[in-house]
Amino acid sequence: MPGEVAEIALMTDSLGLPDSSARTAVSSVASMIERAKAGDPAAFEEMIDCYQRKVITTAWRMVGNREDARDAAQEVFLRVYKYLGGFRADQDFAAWLYRIIINVCRDQMRKRGRPDQFTSFEMEHELGNLDARTSNDDVEASAIRSQQHAMIAQALDTLSKKERAAIVLRDLEGLTTEEVARVLGSTQTTVRSQISSARAKIKKFKDRALAGTRQR
Amino acid sequence: MKCRRVEKLIPLYVEGDLASGKANHLASHLEWCGRCNWLADEYRESQSWLRVSATPEFDQSLLENFKAGVLRRIENDDSKPSLLGAVIQQWTRRQIFALSAAMLMIVGVVVFYIYQTRVNTQPSTKEARQTPEIENVPQPALPQVHGTETTPGAGSMERHFASSRASRKLRTASTVIATRTVELPTQLQPAPIPEDLITGSIETEQPPMLRIEIQTSDPNIRIIWFAPKEVESPKTNQ
Repeated sequence: MPGEVAEIALMTDSLGLPDSSARTAVSSVASMIERAKAGDPAAFEEMIDCYQRKVITTAWRMVGNREDARDAAQEVFLRVYKYLGGFRADQDFAAWLYRIIINVCRDQMRKRGRPDQFTSFEMEHELGNLDARTSNDDVEASAIRSQQHAMIAQALDTLSKKERAAIVLRDLEGLTTEEVARVLGSTQTTVRSQISSARAKIKKFKDRALAGTRQR
Repeated sequence: MKCRRVEKLIPLYVEGDLASGKANHLASHLEWCGRCNWLADEYRESQSWLRVSATPEFDQSLLENFKAGVLRRIENDDSKPSLLGAVIQQWTRRQIFALSAAMLMIVGVVVFYIYQTRVNTQPSTKEARQTPEIENVPQPALPQVHGTETTPGAGSMERHFASSRASRKLRTASTVIATRTVELPTQLQPAPIPEDLITGSIETEQPPMLRIEIQTSDPNIRIIWFAPKEVESPKTNQ
């Protein structure tokens, strides 16, 4: 049991739960998973509340736009619901969840071919996705942030699927190389090679993009 | 450590992905090499740019809609489960494995049976193909042979079956026998068949007969051929 609690603590850390809730939730997360496994709908809803933000963010980083990320995240929770019965208590839930996210995103990217263009701030505004945010934030700040997101999405698009998955998990999700290797089902050496190559490509893209901005 | 090697390792060094020994070597190199140090700073900046910019923001309404969407999809999936899904949900993994194994065995037995049947049919069909005119060869009207081996009928065939088989098997066996009956008389022809035997008047005095047994590939089928024996010949004494 203590090992289980430690694993769950690790899971809550890597999944980025808020600190206050992470401390209090450590003991209840295990029971939440067990209850969800047993078919308790309230426990599953609780699980969605806990992880939806993280799942959508990771999916967004993988697929590159909000709409696809939302679809992918929904599919992730559907698969979690479907396969939670096969999840063993001795497994690492975070790794299990990340594996589902990566697989779903890969499937989606394969289905849609090249990832769609990043939805810019203007487009999102037209679609009405940013209504709540623009009422609070400065429009100009949102525009800058949206532009930065677009640049990141483009930078991530320059990577191969494997490099992208590796760098998203290692640098953006904060997993260790060992955990990334476990999630992706490859070796640590391979993951290091992918990460190194991806970082070099992103730096190159950033240098070029910034140089272009300065020239203008 | 040379600059060229350091340049390759810097992307891993900046995030602490190098082993401690290598990282120490690289750190000592960066202390005196300005160019490599500058490159490491560039990578650090790139990494922080990636982290800061790659965090999307979500408003509460989006998350609420998202959760509602997930629950709706789950409900839809639950309301119309597939037949296979329902079966899988009812059964445990071990039961599914056992069922799969049983199915596999049944399929294996069926395949083996079909294979065996084909193997048994193949030689006869091949032979029949080689001698298609066999069906047109007129068969002599031979008398019915009764009793044991000691009461043979001249120019007749006898089939011995150790056990009864399916009608298909019997048909196959008869094909083999028919083929043999055509070939054998042409090879042996020890003496012409007496006229009285052909007409069926076997009750009259019978000449001594030569008995020839041929074992076919099927152990259950044996062809026995009776032919009139030449009295003077000592070799035909069997």
